[in-house]
Amino acid sequence: MSTGITNIINMAPELPLQWSENLLSTPMFNLIHSFGCDLHFAEAHLGKTTRMSRYERLSTDGGQLDGSGIDPAPEVVLRTDIDATMEIYAKTIVTNEQITLYENDKVLTKFTALGGQWLREKEDLLMRDLYSSSVSYLNATGGVNGQQPSEISRADVNNIERILLGNDARTMLEVIEAENKFSTAPTRDAFIALASTDITPDLQNVQGVILKNAYPSQEGLRPEEYCSISRFRFFVSSKAAKTPGISQPSGNTVYTIPMYGLEAAAKIEQNSYTATVGYRPPWVVSSVAQNSQLYFKFAIARAITNQNWVSGLKVTQRL
Amino acid sequence: MALTIVNQGSFQSTGVPVNIPVPSGADYFKVYNLTQMATTQATGRGVMFEWFGNPSFAVNSAVEWLKTNSTNGMNATVITTGGFNYITSFPQPEAAFVGTAITNATSAVASGFTSLPYNNGDSVVLYNTTGMAQIGGAAFTVSSVSSTGFTLLGLPAGTFAAPATAVTARRVSPFQPVLPEFMYVSAISQAAQAVVTVTQDPTNVIYVGQKLVFQIPASFGMVQLNNNNSPQSLPAVVTAVNAGAYQFTINVNTTGFTAFAWPASTASPTAPLFATVAPAGCSTQYNPQLQTYTGYNFNLQPFRSSYPLPLMNLQAGAQSPAGSNGDTIVWQCFKMEAPQYGAV
Repeated sequence: MSTGITNIINMAPELPLQWSENLLSTPMFNLIHSFGCDLHFAEAHLGKTTRMSRYERLSTDGGQLDGSGIDPAPEVVLRTDIDATMEIYAKTIVTNEQITLYENDKVLTKFTALGGQWLREKEDLLMRDLYSSSVSYLNATGGVNGQQPSEISRADVNNIERILLGNDARTMLEVIEAENKFSTAPTRDAFIALASTDITPDLQNVQGVILKNAYPSQEGLRPEEYCSISRFRFFVSSKAAKTPGISQPSGNTVYTIPMYGLEAAAKIEQNSYTATVGYRPPWVVSSVAQNSQLYFKFAIARAITNQNWVSGLKVTQRL
Repeated sequence: MALTIVNQGSFQSTGVPVNIPVPSGADYFKVYNLTQMATTQATGRGVMFEWFGNPSFAVNSAVEWLKTNSTNGMNATVITTGGFNYITSFPQPEAAFVGTAITNATSAVASGFTSLPYNNGDSVVLYNTTGMAQIGGAAFTVSSVSSTGFTLLGLPAGTFAAPATAVTARRVSPFQPVLPEFMYVSAISQAAQAVVTVTQDPTNVIYVGQKLVFQIPASFGMVQLNNNNSPQSLPAVVTAVNAGAYQFTINVNTTGFTAFAWPASTASPTAPLFATVAPAGCSTQYNPQLQTYTGYNFNLQPFRSSYPLPLMNLQAGAQSPAGSNGDTIVWQCFKMEAPQYGAV
């Protein structure tokens, strides 16, 4: 990342040629990591730690009254508290007046749009880090590439479904019913899986995969969705979690695939501190009124709210 | 002003690397060792260290100003190990070092490396662990570090069938990007209150009152500890922490459970790995005898970032910017307001 004032030294004026009426696209990666997490709000003026609580279910052991008149022993109710710390992130762009004077397009407008994109991208990566850090994963072992973990396989996906179902996790996405269309197949109500675009060839190769175009209905599907495998629908991003150079034995890149159901994770926003895009004029920023400033800020706290309802796989590439 | 001091501070060295947050970033970073500045040593030591952002210094490099042996004469040199690391995003695994063995002992010892730059307390991921394939890909905290090896206090490998005859190590961040984090489990006792050993130092991760969910593959034996096998699907609760031994105690009676054991090396790569434990909140309790609360640990309980990035990492040692135990260190961080002309 290059830092400092954006000026005509590091961003020279465009040549005096005719300027196309349309700017080209700015790349943006798929934002998948906030998908399916619960949104909570933190009150202002009550500290920076937010507590979310869950009452654990009562034991089903015993309970029969035998007619003796003796009451059953009262059960102590258990509560689990999940805490999360609010954190504030910011980005700024300082622009020299000669940029706005000489550039052909309205650069401050474009810079503002870039800042808005940064807000979303940064938030996505922070949620990615939560999943990659605080969740237990199993190595895929059903593949044939000789690595530990192996590439993803149907057996590995089914094993995670077994774990989530065994922990009473609830699916998040509804069934897509069969229709009378060639080469389509229905999908069950499904958990969510988040994967790197690097492993899309391997996803296509998993037994029983249903690629997105083979869903009976395309209505409401997100562009980030890639396929359905077993009880999971996979969403992909080029920025999904991966760690280079650590697989056994060859030191290949290991990819992390969080797989989860309802209420597995939370994103907490701060009341009285919504995402902000601000502008400081040149006469404020610079003693000779030559530099203006854009700034972008947001607050976020994040937490795994039910460790039983999230699991996942670590995999390597084969194809 | 072209170059501005944006931050300054000091600390007393404990002989371990230090991370200094630099929210504005850094173009120039300078460290003074005031303790060594005021004295001389038989072997001249570093008293001032500099780092430049442009041209960017290599990882672990610094300009070192050091005293001549036993006098105040000053020398300058560029060091390529034990210097500064300017970290702007979460660090990826570092360059690989190849060793020749890991003992099947409790605790395991890895050896046969050349010129290891590691410090006690660093974390490494091990792979290509021939003969001990079941640990390949897991992270470990290292101790008793030398230039040729280290001890894996969190790997009780005494029950392993054979030692490893090869190993490759990469240093990784001691923490994941977010804390509390998942940890690799290397042993669980069969006891009225089970003692769990993890592969990394649990300081700042595990605390009394914390709830944990285990994920134990069948290949490790003790699957009864998996949450879906407990009567109420309740998380385990930590009742004591012995961070020095990478151990903690949980409120689960594992006496009748299947013994915990690593799968054989020969089962790799098909044996499911790893046994892990992940944070599941906490339980707030009050002990009227001790008049203490657990579950009110606002330092360790909340999910939070492990590092405020960007930061400057100062390596420790006699010829390193974070100095040796007891040294008083003053640091200054500089940032240019405008970008540099004609950077090389």
